[in-house]
This record gives sequence, structure tokens and C-alpha cells, in this order.
Amino acid sequence: MKRFSGKQPGILNQIDLKSFKGKLLYWIFFGVLVIAALCTVLPAVWMVLSAFKSTQEMYSSAAFLPKEFSPSYAWERITVAWKDLALGRSMINTFIVSLGNVVASVFVCGLAGFILSKFRVPGTKLIFVMVVWTMMMPAIIRTVPTYMSYISFPFVIDDKLSIGTNYNILDTYWPIWLTAGANSFEIILFKNNFDAIPTSLVESAKLDGCSNFKIFYKIMLPIAMPVVVYVAIGALSVAWSDYFTPYLVLKDAAKMTTPARLFMLKDSSAASIPTNVYMMGLIFASIPSLLIFCLFQKHIVGGISLGAVKG
Amino acid sequence: MKANTKISREKRKQKLKRYLGAWILLLPAVIVLYLMIWRPSFMGIVWSFFKMKGYTPTEFVGLDNYIQVITNSDFGRVMWNTVQYVFWSFLIGFLPPLLLAFMLNEIVHFRTTLRTAIYLPAILPGVSILLLWYFIYFPNETGMLNMLLAKFGVDPYVWLNDSRFTIIFIVIEMTWQGFAATMFLYYASIQGIDTTLYEAATLDGANPFQRFIHVALPQMSGLVVLNVVRQMIGVFQVLQQPMVMTGGGPNGASTSVGYQMYQYGFVQGRVGQALALGTIVFAILIVATCFYFYLNKKVEENQ
Repeated sequence: MKRFSGKQPGILNQIDLKSFKGKLLYWIFFGVLVIAALCTVLPAVWMVLSAFKSTQEMYSSAAFLPKEFSPSYAWERITVAWKDLALGRSMINTFIVSLGNVVASVFVCGLAGFILSKFRVPGTKLIFVMVVWTMMMPAIIRTVPTYMSYISFPFVIDDKLSIGTNYNILDTYWPIWLTAGANSFEIILFKNNFDAIPTSLVESAKLDGCSNFKIFYKIMLPIAMPVVVYVAIGALSVAWSDYFTPYLVLKDAAKMTTPARLFMLKDSSAASIPTNVYMMGLIFASIPSLLIFCLFQKHIVGGISLGAVKG
Repeated sequence: MKANTKISREKRKQKLKRYLGAWILLLPAVIVLYLMIWRPSFMGIVWSFFKMKGYTPTEFVGLDNYIQVITNSDFGRVMWNTVQYVFWSFLIGFLPPLLLAFMLNEIVHFRTTLRTAIYLPAILPGVSILLLWYFIYFPNETGMLNMLLAKFGVDPYVWLNDSRFTIIFIVIEMTWQGFAATMFLYYASIQGIDTTLYEAATLDGANPFQRFIHVALPQMSGLVVLNVVRQMIGVFQVLQQPMVMTGGGPNGASTSVGYQMYQYGFVQGRVGQALALGTIVFAILIVATCFYFYLNKKVEENQ
């Protein structure tokens, strides 16, 4: 066991830890953290254990552990759940949606952040103020009006401002992608990070005849890679965790994303899908997010301080 | 003279070209923000004064929608429920992330392991968490909490179906889901505190509690206050938790303003009333938001 010698001074310091009172306080802190960790881990463990129970066991016994646990039996539970829930199609859909989200976030928000950071052009200041305010606009009040505009996009029929043809974009992924692009938080995140890149770099690239887009693509994005990755991870994760928008705008079951499909299965779960199979579905739905976390752990942890954006 | 105007015209042209080059790259974001946020927020207010046929505004009816929303017998209860969500989420959710962040900063044993374990809820996708908790609170013995009760020989409890405590149980789920992200925001800020400050305080004879109150907390207070106000604004809009876990029940006991709006707009076909309710929420939250910006300014001045 590690000694206290590695301890940085904080609320407790080395001298405190030599006394009984200080040691007691230290171990109380440690105990509280262990309890917190148990509270966060236990539900997830229960999810996994329940997923590997047989249906009969799920409903008849109140034991936490599944009775039988062999690799072949576990594999059987996995395949049964995969077949019953039919999540394959929805996972491909979610993958497509998540890629679109990444492109929308990085390019729409990234370009805006680039311009707001590096160009002193009339109008940009006003836009920046509006973006800051947009960040605090309550999202909930937009659900109905945006839905109305999806039916005849971009302008609602009978709207005095209506010009040209309007399209019904329900049952496409456009509403989800556009929502990903309309992220004022990410615009400001990009702007703040681009601010740290010297303007002289942009100026000299411009003298060499680089177009603005090329400067963004070849210079700004690579230098600001941590924030690009952070935003991209966020855009990926939203597709795998938000059920609400896809549930609203996608009516065709073949186009459903995994979160929306799981939510829809809930209502039928009482009747036909047993809880243990459903739990396996939740695990399937969590795997992409867990994978993203494992692959980009360093960036996510580093990004937490990036996330502390102020307007 | 002639050459001069030629130069200035050339300059103007170049300037315009520079502006245009910038505006074009800014345009996608402006269009998307306009279509997805600015316009819907504004038109939502305008359309709330219109009669709706399906999702199409037909004629101006003044305050009709508002009168229907406010005179609805559910209105008062829905508002009260929402206030309860905000109140309980403050009471239950305020201290854990702050205290745990400080404690995590103090310990040396198993720090990484504990950090990863506590971060788990922030990794799992939202939909999985909501549905998982729906089953954790399940009112018969297949639910996790009732399984635990059974271990102690206690009869199953109905959890979310007990209308007195439904909102509190939902808030516990919200705290579980959200506290890790907040905690690590605080944790990052705590790690930025200059450790010599602690040492100086120790030399002045401050005990651990005093170091916490007088050294660490003042450095954090701005961030904490802003974060709490932002979260209260967020909780006021709660929708997904009641939608997934209770369907607003039992008997409307957990229906929030957000969920009521969803019901009006997408289930009951009362689109005009959904917009009117949205505008009322907007009016309340805009006051809260102005307060947030005021605080933000104060905090920045103090730094």
C-alpha cells in the first residue's frame, strides 16, 4: 500500500496525517469515496448480471447472481437477445447519424469559431454576442416550433416569410444533423481555443496564398486537435445516447437509431420482451459509448477543463 | 488625384473581398443557428397567438391559447411539480459533486480506480441510464432496489408509483446521472489551486476545516455558483426523466412543464397550447438567464 509520502498539500497535509485526527479524516474521505464508487458501479453491475439470467430466473428468484454462468450459456443469452431485439439495423443507422453529427459539429461550428476568432470583420462582433446568448436559450421551448418547420422545411406553410419550395424533412436524418451543427457552446469552445493560436500564423499563410478554408483545414484544425477530438467525441456520443429527437422525427422503424428503438421497445417490454433480454439491449446500446471512452480517454479527461467555457 | 481614387477603390475592393471571404465561412453556422434556434424561438412566441390546424398556424386568436393553458386545472400542479424538481435537485444534487471532488483531491490510495468508477455514469449513454433506472425502481421483485429489500426481508415497495416521493426518486436518478460531470469540472478547478496557499494557511495555524472554508472554497465559489444556477435552469426544463421513467404519473404527480408541453404538442394535438406554455416557460427562464449573466459578470470582475 502506498504511503502518504506522495501526498500533495491540500486541505490535509503531511503534518495532519501524522496525527490520529488527521488520519481519521483521511480515511473518512476515502470511505465516502468508496461508497460513492459503489453507488455508481452497483447499478451497472446489476444490469450486467440481470442480462445473463434466464427469463424464468429473472422473474422467479431474487438472487443477484445468475445461477448458471458458462461461456456457452452466456453466448446463448447474447445471441437470443440480439435476435429478439433486432438492434442490428438501428446500430448501422446510429453509426451513420453519428458521422453526420461529427461533420456538422466540426465544420459548421469550427468554421464559425475560426472566423469569430481570427477575423475583425464588421458583423462578427454582433454574431458573437448572439451566439453567447444562444447558449443560454432554453432548448425545451424549441421542440414544437422546430418540429413544425421540419414538416415544411425551411419555412412553415402559411408563414408570411415563406419563399420557394418547402420540403418535409421528417423521416430523414437532417433534423438531427442540423441540431448537431447549431451548437453555440461548441462555436465558443472553438473560438476560445483558436484565440490561443497566434494571428501571425494566419497572416503569413494568407500571404502565401492560402485560402481561408485551407488555413482552417490545414493549420487551425491540426493545431487545435484536442478540442476537435473533444467536440467530435461529444457529437458521436449524442447519437448513441439521445433518444428524444430521433424518436420525434423518425417515424419509419427501419430508420430508427438505437436509443430511440430501445425507448420504443420499453412500452412493449411488459408484454413481450423480458427484463433480462432488455438489460442485454441496454448493454448493446452502451458498448459504443464505452468504446469511445476507452479509445479517447486521454482526450476526454483533458477536455473536462476545456468544457469550462465562459461566454 | 485620379491615381489616388484608383488606389482607394482598389483598396475598397480588396477590403470587401476580405469581408466576403470571412462571411462566407461564417454563413453555414449563421444559417443553421437561424433555422434551428433563433427563428423557432421567436416564431414559437408569435405562433402561440395563433389557432393551429395540425402543425399549421391558421388565424390570429390573441390570448386564447394562454387562457386555455392557465385555466386548465393541471397548470398549477405542473408548475408546482417543476418547482419541486428544481428544489430537490438543488438539495440533493448540490453538495455531493463538490465534496467528492475535494475528497478525491485529498486521497492517494486507489485514486485512479476510484476516479474511473465514479466517472462511469458520465460514460454510459443517457438512454441506457434512464431505462436502467426504470428497472431499478421496478415495483416488483425484478427491480434492483426491491431485490435489495428482499435480502433484508422487507416487502417490495412501489418506488416511483408512490406519488408522494416520485419526484424525489427521479431527482436521485438525475443526480446519479449528472453528478460525475459536475464533479470533474470542480475537480479540474481544485487541481488548479496553488498548493502554496494551503501551506501558508497551515503556517498561520489554520486547521483542515479552516483551510477548506477560507482557502479552497473562495477559489471555487464563482464556478460553483454559476454551475448551480445553470443546472437549475436545466432542471426547470426536465422532460426525458418523467417521459421514460413514469410517463408523468402516477396520476400526474411527476408531470413537469416540459413533459406537459410534450404532451400538448405531440400526444394530445393541442399544438397552440404547447406553444403558449413554451412561451410562459421562456418568460420565466429569460429572467433566470439574465440573472445568470449578471452573476457571470460579477464573478469575472472578482477574478
